[in-house]
Amino acid sequence: MGNRRMVTRRKFIGQVAAAGAGIAALSLAPGAAVFAEAANVASVRKPIVSFHMDRPYVDWTGTAEPYYPPVGARSAEAASRLSEEAFRRMQCYA
Amino acid sequence: MVDFSNHPEMKGFFAATRFEADVYDCEVTGKIPSDLNGAFVRLGGDWLYPPKFEDDSPFSMDGYINMFRFKNGIVDYKGRWVKTPRFKADMAARRQLFGKYRNPFTDDPSVHNLDRSVQNTTPLCFAGKLFTLKEDSLPYEIDPKTLDTIGPYDFHGKYKSLTFTAHPKVDPVTGEMICYGYEATGLESRDVFLYTIDKTGHVTREIRFQVPYVAMVHDIGLTQKHVIIPIFGFVSSMERLKEGKVHWGWDNTKPSYVAIVPRDGEAKDIRWFKGPSRATVHTLNARTEGEKVILEAAIYDGNPFPFFPPIDGSPWDPTKARAYIRRNTFNLASKDDGFTEDKLFEMNVSDLGRVDDRYLSLPYRYAFTAYADKQRPFAEWKAGNMGGRVNNCYGRFDLSTGKMSSYFAGDTHSLQEVCFVPRKNGAEGEGYVMGVASNYAEMRSELVIADAKHLEDGDVARVILPFRATAQVHGRWMDEDELPLA
Repeated sequence: MGNRRMVTRRKFIGQVAAAGAGIAALSLAPGAAVFAEAANVASVRKPIVSFHMDRPYVDWTGTAEPYYPPVGARSAEAASRLSEEAFRRMQCYA
Repeated sequence: MVDFSNHPEMKGFFAATRFEADVYDCEVTGKIPSDLNGAFVRLGGDWLYPPKFEDDSPFSMDGYINMFRFKNGIVDYKGRWVKTPRFKADMAARRQLFGKYRNPFTDDPSVHNLDRSVQNTTPLCFAGKLFTLKEDSLPYEIDPKTLDTIGPYDFHGKYKSLTFTAHPKVDPVTGEMICYGYEATGLESRDVFLYTIDKTGHVTREIRFQVPYVAMVHDIGLTQKHVIIPIFGFVSSMERLKEGKVHWGWDNTKPSYVAIVPRDGEAKDIRWFKGPSRATVHTLNARTEGEKVILEAAIYDGNPFPFFPPIDGSPWDPTKARAYIRRNTFNLASKDDGFTEDKLFEMNVSDLGRVDDRYLSLPYRYAFTAYADKQRPFAEWKAGNMGGRVNNCYGRFDLSTGKMSSYFAGDTHSLQEVCFVPRKNGAEGEGYVMGVASNYAEMRSELVIADAKHLEDGDVARVILPFRATAQVHGRWMDEDELPLA
């Protein structure tokens, strides 16, 4: 793996959160305008691997924010809480 | 005001769609085979208005017919409601006027005596016409170009049963249709009228007989010499209807009865056989070999439908709602009324199986149906948690060797009924399997097409709809030389 450092998921998310909090603090401080340009630069992040429901995905925003699926995705979720009987009452053949 | 909030299960992919649609020149992945020219016609149901009773059957949904029209490698889609008197009455009233499944005592008084059929079960192409079928009424004729509803059809006034099966059989040798109606003379009657209709649409034979008790007679088997008519534990009575219940309840004490009717015989020639409690809702194929009549079907151990609950008040048993491909053999030379049952495959499958229809009533080798392969992946994080309740594969079951091959639809998909489309002049089983897959990640329906002899290779082509098509009960391929299509 060469010179790559191994980072645990917990540590990785903690680092991202700390970085975000630091930038927010700077932007609220007196003279924040001075740092605005620097903050913008910091927000242009590289894609990272993040997690949703313990599954990895490529987070193109680089912010490690939780994944909210687009409209229509996970559209079978309505069936998750149904018993076998309730499910068959609704969808016996589809 | 339409309000489905009392039906929290009708959310996401399972919400009512409630619209008609045309998609000109559908999006396609892969390449549509050049020899597929015709239409894949689906019939199913959707709720225009929510059911009047929460415990009603999904078989009460308003009929919706839709067509994938294949022509020169291009596919167009069209979907229309089947506009029965019931549908029009609801539309005019802007609410659900009709009550429980096949129970007129639960209807709004304003629709007393109106045809309460919903045409939501099987599309039929016969004698150059397109029909929708629902077993509680006559067929409805549909314009094959526009999918507009024309109305009930009685085969030139010669078809006398008040009802018509959702599963007529067309003899590939003679072109005749063998069909029937049960509860033929009215609600709760034991009368069955069995017909032969020639390929021009004229009735040539009628046999009238009675079943031992009022029961669902959903499908039959056809051989070159016999008609096989299974009845089983779905029972009904006028008392039950007057109590406001759905038409059918399940009686676990009822044995399976099977009538073997000679195609050239009369009611007096019918031979009845009896077997253990089962549910033969749909059949695969049948044949006569000497004195033996053989029926193959995916048969349930017990009641597959919780919305037709046990009449003794016991809870519905999901462990009995599993179908296995079985062979029933009826020995006409025997003195007793028993028959043998053999399980041909140990895996449970969808009972909506199909064969190469050119071999219907004849010796054959292959059956096709959907099933759930739990070893295949399902991406819950993209599709939602279905609890394993997906038919993710189509199988080709070789009944002569016991082997099977399978097509996998993808890790966010569930397949509806399979359809087999034979290649012209090809051998048995040569052609395509097709069917609609629900894509739960993208909230859309996709028509998958695969080479029936190479299912493991995956799609030949896939037609993408940008929305959810209504749920299908049955679908049929219709060649363009059979119907005047647009």
